[in-house]
Amino acid sequence: MELLEVKNLSKHYKSFDLKDISFNLPKGYIMGYVGANGSGKTTTLNLITGILKSTGGEVRIDGLSREEGEKAYKEKIGYVGDESYFPDHFRVKHIRTILKDFYPSFSADKFNGFIREWNLPENKLIKDFSRGMKVMLMFASVFARDTKLLVLDEATNGLDPVMRTEILKLLQEYVMDGERSVIFSTHILSDLEQIADYIYFIHGGRTVLYDAKDELIENFLLVKGETANIPPALKKELIGLEENAYGFEAVLPSDKAELLGSAFLFEKPTIDQIVIHYIKN
Amino acid sequence: MKIIISNQSELPIYAQIREQLKEQILNGQIPEGETLPSIRQLAKEVGVSVITTTRAYNELEAEGFIATMQGKGSVVLPTDNNLLREQYLLRIEDGLSAAIETAKTMGMSKDELTDIFHNLLET
Amino acid sequence: MRAIHFMKIDYVLTRKQMYFIPVFFVLACAVGRGVTESALSLLVTCSYMFFVASIFSTAPFGYCVGKNRGFLLLLPATVKERVAGRFLYGLSFMALLGVLCAALWGVYALMGYELPLWTAALGLCELAVGILMMALEFLFFYLFGEGKENWQHLSNIVRVAPGMAMFFAMSYLVGEIQDMTPAGMGVDLEAFAGKFMQAGVVAIVASLLLTAAAAAVCMKVIKKRDYA
Repeated sequence: MELLEVKNLSKHYKSFDLKDISFNLPKGYIMGYVGANGSGKTTTLNLITGILKSTGGEVRIDGLSREEGEKAYKEKIGYVGDESYFPDHFRVKHIRTILKDFYPSFSADKFNGFIREWNLPENKLIKDFSRGMKVMLMFASVFARDTKLLVLDEATNGLDPVMRTEILKLLQEYVMDGERSVIFSTHILSDLEQIADYIYFIHGGRTVLYDAKDELIENFLLVKGETANIPPALKKELIGLEENAYGFEAVLPSDKAELLGSAFLFEKPTIDQIVIHYIKN
Repeated sequence: MKIIISNQSELPIYAQIREQLKEQILNGQIPEGETLPSIRQLAKEVGVSVITTTRAYNELEAEGFIATMQGKGSVVLPTDNNLLREQYLLRIEDGLSAAIETAKTMGMSKDELTDIFHNLLET
Repeated sequence: MRAIHFMKIDYVLTRKQMYFIPVFFVLACAVGRGVTESALSLLVTCSYMFFVASIFSTAPFGYCVGKNRGFLLLLPATVKERVAGRFLYGLSFMALLGVLCAALWGVYALMGYELPLWTAALGLCELAVGILMMALEFLFFYLFGEGKENWQHLSNIVRVAPGMAMFFAMSYLVGEIQDMTPAGMGVDLEAFAGKFMQAGVVAIVASLLLTAAAAAVCMKVIKKRDYA
């Protein structure tokens, strides 16, 4: 069962085009939406939440498109972004009232529980919250109600490792019942890489790679060696060849490894390494 | 049951989980008939993706170590001795192959290598 | 229902300025006292209040900009409901000040001042113009600058100008009337009081209809827009 279906999603700007983004995210899984700054990650996520209007294609959450039912569609979404999301001079109590007014499934008890657990100040203005507190408040406002899809836009950027680990656990708990899914965007995967089931990699508004993460890691090898030893015919197979005075580093599809022979060092790449070399290409 | 994931390992994560579970089943640390944690539970505890743990369990099932029943989870099957022996044999071969590979790289002769092998056996 | 919730949000967004309303009310009364004729003094006070109202009623546009709107944009509701909520906020704000002015009228009456009916009619017309100003400003904000950052300077001018114009126009008008009455005009204003009241009510109804039309235009425009 697919939770999030994205088909040929496009957004045309004067200076930038997001083109033909297509993927399916099944229920109970986590997808990492990866790309450099300005590659179209936030645009895609904003198209999914409906803040932006697409110029082509379609998005369905749990089988429902926004056109078919705007309220029901939006109720399914939980969004956690980077720091600016709540109006600056709101306090926790204002947010609680609004959530209560708008979301039938909102539980004030649950919400208060998270506020206490994460030590979020009731009486401070949001603009005086730290970056981490703002992010946790967003999580509290999402977890205190029923949602189907959690959309994270660079939510862990600039947070300390302790908080990142905490968030990791939260995301995994979220998909635990196998009914809900997470899509998160990031320009550095690092710790989030481990929990992602699928990776979608875009660059310049175009799809570069999309697969189950384990497949990606297995389908590529990180190759190092002396530049002079590279067979000329194979040079074009190397992705993102990076040379220095002492040797080279590149990514290579695993099935091409045999052709290269044993004169090189092969390593299991991280997603980041695959991404970096792809961008270099 | 314990699982330790290493990012430095050349083995993919699913394989690390598979091997560690296999080891513990073979040496009896995880007894026959025991129910393993669910795929999602394990993914959360270890902090890896669901697809990764699914694959580890699927391979353990294919190799006959566990059986997964709908709604009941994954149960450890009795390990017969042949299977055990085969697994250890495989591991010995792997270890020796790695040593031979290293010897070849430095151009060591067959005799020298067997000498080392015998010496090590004696100690 | 959600439109009302959005109106509530606008009141929360602009809650700080609510403290200033009593201040401006007192100030308006003081300005009004400067005019000797009691009925006209009331009109000046009212026009000053509507001047304040036309500025205050557009405040949510200034508080709700850029990325900080994300939370509000993602609330499960339609664009229609959100825009309707904003207009309800503006109207309710106007109504609130209208009630304040009516109360002041009552106080003046209780204090024994002579208050010809035509001043009340003129007051209604003032309110109608105030509502129309608000609707036009809302239209302007929605069409050109809703949610935009770095729009503060222009938006301040837009917010202050109509109310200011209205205030000065009214002051001028009151001055003229003051010079003319009672002998100067040579007509008995009271005789036309009934007509004045009709005109006042018609003006209010017309302004409300025009406001609804402006809201409908805004909904149509915003619906197709990004970040809405």
